[in-house]
Amino acid sequence: MKNPAIPRLAACALIAAVGLLPAFADGGSILIKNGTVLTVTKGVIAKGDVLVVDGIIKQVGGDIAAPPGVRVVDATGRFVIPGLIDSHTHVALAGTNEGSEAITPEADVGAVINADDTSILTALSGGVTMVHTMHGSANPIGGPNVVLKMKWGRPSEELVVGEALPTLKFALGENVKQASRTVQPGQTQRYPATRMGANAIIRREFARARNYMEQWDRFRKAAAVKNPPGSLVPPRKDLRLEVLAEVLRGERVARVHSYQATETVEFMELAKEFGFKIQCFEHIWEGYKIADELAAAGIGISVFADSWAYKMEAAEGIAYMAGYCAKRGVLVSINSDSGERIRRLFNDAAKTMKYGGLTEDEALRLVTINPAVQLGVDRIVGSLEVGKQGDIAVFSEHPLSAYTRCDLTVIEGEVYFDRDEIVKVREAAAAKAAAPRAEGGAR
Amino acid sequence: MKPIPRVSRSVVLPVLSLILTLVLAAGLTAGAARLAGDVGPTYAIRNCRIVPVVGPPVEKGAIVVRDGLIESLGPVDRIKIPGDAEIVEAEGLVAYPGLISAFSNLFLEQPAQPGGGQAPEPEFPVPAQAEAAEDRFPPGPGLFVLDQIKPKKAAVESFHKAGFATVLVAPARGIFEGRSVVLNLNGEALGPMVVRNGAALHINFTTERGGYPSSLMGTIAHIRQSFIDADYYAARRAQYAKSPAGLKRPAYDARLEALAPYVKDREPVVFQCNNQEDIKRALKIAAEFKLNAVLAGANEAWRVADVLKKNPVPLLVALDFRPPATSQYATQGEELRKSAEAEIYPANAAALTREGIAFALVSGANVDGASVLKAVRTAIKAGLAEDAALRALTLQPARALGLDRTLGSLEPGKIANIVLVKGGIFDEGGRVVRIFVDGIPFEYAEVSK
Repeated sequence: MKNPAIPRLAACALIAAVGLLPAFADGGSILIKNGTVLTVTKGVIAKGDVLVVDGIIKQVGGDIAAPPGVRVVDATGRFVIPGLIDSHTHVALAGTNEGSEAITPEADVGAVINADDTSILTALSGGVTMVHTMHGSANPIGGPNVVLKMKWGRPSEELVVGEALPTLKFALGENVKQASRTVQPGQTQRYPATRMGANAIIRREFARARNYMEQWDRFRKAAAVKNPPGSLVPPRKDLRLEVLAEVLRGERVARVHSYQATETVEFMELAKEFGFKIQCFEHIWEGYKIADELAAAGIGISVFADSWAYKMEAAEGIAYMAGYCAKRGVLVSINSDSGERIRRLFNDAAKTMKYGGLTEDEALRLVTINPAVQLGVDRIVGSLEVGKQGDIAVFSEHPLSAYTRCDLTVIEGEVYFDRDEIVKVREAAAAKAAAPRAEGGAR
Repeated sequence: MKPIPRVSRSVVLPVLSLILTLVLAAGLTAGAARLAGDVGPTYAIRNCRIVPVVGPPVEKGAIVVRDGLIESLGPVDRIKIPGDAEIVEAEGLVAYPGLISAFSNLFLEQPAQPGGGQAPEPEFPVPAQAEAAEDRFPPGPGLFVLDQIKPKKAAVESFHKAGFATVLVAPARGIFEGRSVVLNLNGEALGPMVVRNGAALHINFTTERGGYPSSLMGTIAHIRQSFIDADYYAARRAQYAKSPAGLKRPAYDARLEALAPYVKDREPVVFQCNNQEDIKRALKIAAEFKLNAVLAGANEAWRVADVLKKNPVPLLVALDFRPPATSQYATQGEELRKSAEAEIYPANAAALTREGIAFALVSGANVDGASVLKAVRTAIKAGLAEDAALRALTLQPARALGLDRTLGSLEPGKIANIVLVKGGIFDEGGRVVRIFVDGIPFEYAEVSK
């Protein structure tokens, strides 16, 4: 997250006009015909069909016949791609930061999902079907994040993608040391106030977590004997340290908000010291300086396409970052970090072709299969392949064209966004509003 | 409010001379008996329609009240009116059990947070002291709201006039808000009102001002850690009590001591649920720690009916029709929000009835009796059957509070909480004429024949 102080933008006017959009139940089966199918991993099919049955892609190819009762969408002249995946955002949550203390791994965003957030609709309108929605960047160790499908209208628990890799948010730099915060009289400056402090407090917490794990090991060993002594006392269960223990055991990976090269490398050293896995650095505007180190360590990055220099630590960002790092072998994704930018991830991906020289295929990967790999869900989503879940977006033109727009968004074979339907609803609402009061209108 | 104490009744009660004579005669005998410490006053309410809530209504009935309890009731020709009873002529009136609000903020000095939403997340997280001190949390779970409230005559009167005889007063500050008290609104002194102190522990999904936790997710972690700690504390104390030799004495902790009964003995815990997600959050926490959970607020209960059917818990549904701040009905423009408040949210109770989910209706933060009744009427207009509404304000709350042996219906042996209404209690023009609370009559209009 760029800055915890900037409130997320409110839902856009389109949603306000549409009102409540029900999820159209198609029973999880749909056939999309005659589109240009960009599978991402298996090439392009010029005039292709994609058949989803019961939520799973059954066939990708040409001339697929619709099984009885399955809805058919004609995609002639349009582009069929896997649903886009946002590797880093903060939508569909009731609260983003537990900013009161520096170390809060117990504060799990999975506990505060808000399926009523209209950002889900915004995401769908941009072809996004899955997001990694994250704790904010106010703390050196924030909280666990959660991966959601954008199933608008479904209960919150049905949005959660259980197959995804458990992650924990870390953050370094200006947000953590509260560089832009003015301490009011009577308030205390939260520790840490420097980058070295951030590194130190994270090290300290992992040392505590190690100690905690050892305590439990000793206790379990002592309790396992035949007649354990009556004076045996178990350690106190600590939710904060439990999460860090998961990281140390390799059951949960680190997602680290980081901008500058130096502190990033220092954090990589810290991870090596404690033996935990960094899955991804977030935003990392100076990533291009350490692209080879990142590639060698197998650490991905999730970044903006442009719009750097919004604060001091982002001053050395360059437009070529994503493309350059991708070419050096780093696993790159483009993220939104926002409930508004989320609807034009495809535009942002396209920028890497102009700045960075990526091919269409490479650019599209940044918002499909690459984030899927980062989230540990590439076996089930991220490309149009038989056996994967039927998460699909249909675009009016090539998704990397500046003139394209998303017409249809499908999750597990169910249509969650249909631009034609929305236009109809909106026109009806507008007509009603314009009608005289006597005829049931608002005028 | 006109309480009618026996000694000064002749001054207070301006009624017809015939009745006055009867009353004085009865008063003398009862007064003498009272001095002997034997029984309290006796009333015979007669010729009214009786709606006992359990069992069918009695068209022309009588209720004998003795010493604060219902002695007998039934058709007027079958009930023997005791000689010492003061006759309350109630022809043309309807007698209902005194209504119960199983969740109110009556008498609180601090008004409750306006309902419907969580405290907004501060734009700049305000830091607490860097290191977590042991005593960094306010001593919420140990607080008794009884120690913080002052009965107000106007509030009692306002609730009486709406037919309420019993309220649960819930604390309204913090995450672990403290323990509630059930009161019978039988006068002005607090002590005699108390039906049950420490009725339940109340928890709200809010945040601590200026400290940890400052977010909902922090709050949920804090609640969970607190119950983990309480459980651990109780186990350590028990272990120490059993065989202290070789064990370090567990340090006393007032907060955990107060929380322990809720994890150990399953004393009731009321979760304030501000939206549909809070309902699921509360149920999850309750399942994790095997709590005896009660859900309050819950004005989006209809949206999670399936979940509630699978997890039957007492529901205290607030008569608050404002869409919560997080709701899709509140975030897509004023037009939708208004229409949701007028049309969608009032149908919550009706939807729950359709789904076969039991619930009580509660006044919540609304301390104005008339507008509470108005909200009941709104729920009825939105499809709630009148008898279901009545049960939700009598028997259901009595059950939710575990007080249905003494409250919630008109039956011999139960507490004499009786409301006499001109017209139906939920009618637009319905008017409470008299209310008996613990057998003590309060008069709000003359009984016109």
